[in-house]
Amino acid sequence: VRCQHYPPLRALQASAVLRRVSDEHKKEPFTSSSQQQFDPHPAGHQPEQEPQGPRSSSTGQGGQESEDYESEEQLQRRILTAALEFVPEHGWTAEAIAEGAKTLGLSIAAAGMFHSDGSELILHFVSECNTKLSELLEKEQKLVQLGKAEKKPTDEFLRDAVEARLRMLIPYIEKWPQALSVLLLPRNIPSSLSLLTSMIDDIWHYAGDQSTDFNWYTRRAVLTGIYNTTELVMLQDSSPDFEDTWRFLESRVADAMTMSSAASQVQSTGEAVVQGLMGAAVTVSSAESSRAKT
Amino acid sequence: MAAVLLWRGRARALLSRVRGAPRALRGLAAGPEMHFGFQSVTEEERREKIYQVFENVAKKYDVMNDSMTLGIHRVWKDILVHKMNPSPGTLLLDVAGGTGDIAFRFINYVRAARERQLQRKLKHHQNLSWQEIFENYQEDKFNSLGSSQVVVCDINREMLKVGKQKAQHLGYSEGLSWVLGNAEELPFDDDKFDVYTIAFGIRNVTRIDLALQEAYRVLKPGGRFLCLEFSHVSNPLLSRLYDLYSFQVIPVLGEVIAGDWKSYQYLVESIRQFPPQEELKAMIEDAGFFKVDYENLNFGIVAIHSGFKL
Repeated sequence: VRCQHYPPLRALQASAVLRRVSDEHKKEPFTSSSQQQFDPHPAGHQPEQEPQGPRSSSTGQGGQESEDYESEEQLQRRILTAALEFVPEHGWTAEAIAEGAKTLGLSIAAAGMFHSDGSELILHFVSECNTKLSELLEKEQKLVQLGKAEKKPTDEFLRDAVEARLRMLIPYIEKWPQALSVLLLPRNIPSSLSLLTSMIDDIWHYAGDQSTDFNWYTRRAVLTGIYNTTELVMLQDSSPDFEDTWRFLESRVADAMTMSSAASQVQSTGEAVVQGLMGAAVTVSSAESSRAKT
Repeated sequence: MAAVLLWRGRARALLSRVRGAPRALRGLAAGPEMHFGFQSVTEEERREKIYQVFENVAKKYDVMNDSMTLGIHRVWKDILVHKMNPSPGTLLLDVAGGTGDIAFRFINYVRAARERQLQRKLKHHQNLSWQEIFENYQEDKFNSLGSSQVVVCDINREMLKVGKQKAQHLGYSEGLSWVLGNAEELPFDDDKFDVYTIAFGIRNVTRIDLALQEAYRVLKPGGRFLCLEFSHVSNPLLSRLYDLYSFQVIPVLGEVIAGDWKSYQYLVESIRQFPPQEELKAMIEDAGFFKVDYENLNFGIVAIHSGFKL
């Protein structure tokens, strides 16, 4: 029977996989540091060294006794990012996640941390795409502010933003219908809806929308409609480089623009109608009174 | 009948006395006094006695499981393997797996998953050259399990014997090995297995903390620990019914079917002695596992604990 003394405090326990946070900045997949000295394991023992590049042999082991370990959530995100590369082959499934875990040097059983229908993988992907879109729009805005680029008219801006975002789906387009159906599961709707609304918000924000009135809601609703319908068209599009989809997008955005001007026209027409009715009412009542007089 | 009632009264008294006893009696401290059911014994004696118990019940183990749990244990084990959701290529260590229930389910699951995988691959590759088709057939012939393997480890020779016979009888041969070993000191190298399961076995381990540490040691980084075990029912009404059933019916069944009252009395007593869900969760975390969680089945009659070596 081995006599081992494990420290009571969990914080001192060496983690087999969670790396030090500082190492993430070095963009290395593993640190090759040794296990805690309490328990010298016979196999796979690495002396303390500088973090190296990816090791060809066995899996990542041991962490330093330092304080800043990455959290479980960060590790999960790393696994999901690694899993994306296997989605075209395996779909949005636990198998893709297992393959992703394998590339990080973890056991394929690590996929058990996630739901077996791949929800977390899809949500992670959507959130990553939204982040990328925000960065893209931020960069463009900076260029405009520095005077290096022209400010685009709203319809062109919206078109480009939606196209950029939808293009991120292209590598996964075959399996995307599966992803959409999973996103619509009741369990996932709160998260998927909030991701969608925040993305639409972002686009309008960078489009220069300063409204604080009812228009804010209308604009969001309209753009959400445009985005969703274009996405569905894209799923069935077989034209080269999805030309049909972008043309569809163009006409939808154009519609939205005319609709907004039509809306203001309708409003003025409405006012005119109301005035007409008022006028008619006044005329009728004065006619009555004049008839009554005579 | 009178004897049973008398015994029941004694059990109640013992129960209340033991409940108040210090934690040492739960088999966690390194003290010499341990529990064997409701008796108090030394560590060595406990190991001896437990070995005897399983030596005696080995042949009737499966029959007794079915009659005691009314067949529900099959569902519990199915749920365990579904929760594991093993993909082809998984290396499983089933500790205290004696008669092979988990191992056989694992093999079935992985076989089905492998078939689905192959079908998907074929659909994906519609335009293969003859060379590629030939290669596919070559590897498929030897890979119906996708190189998954399960090692069944048990401390008890009799249980392993029964397991091997069952495997032969049911036709399981590929990807299966049988190893004699002690959960507190596993005869395997570090970082070997993807999943470690222990179904209805950890209760019988004398030093649970050692078993958990061994589990941590032999798992690969990212590997999963799964434990299926009887646990504590919190619902008071159900708890009374459960106690009634356990102490009245099960030892009697044991006597009638297996001819062994004492072993089955040990069984129900050991269930009461085992740490409840939260305590076991804390122990698993102490061994170094992350994302430790448990799932109650049947209101806590049985619980599945899961942890990852991260």
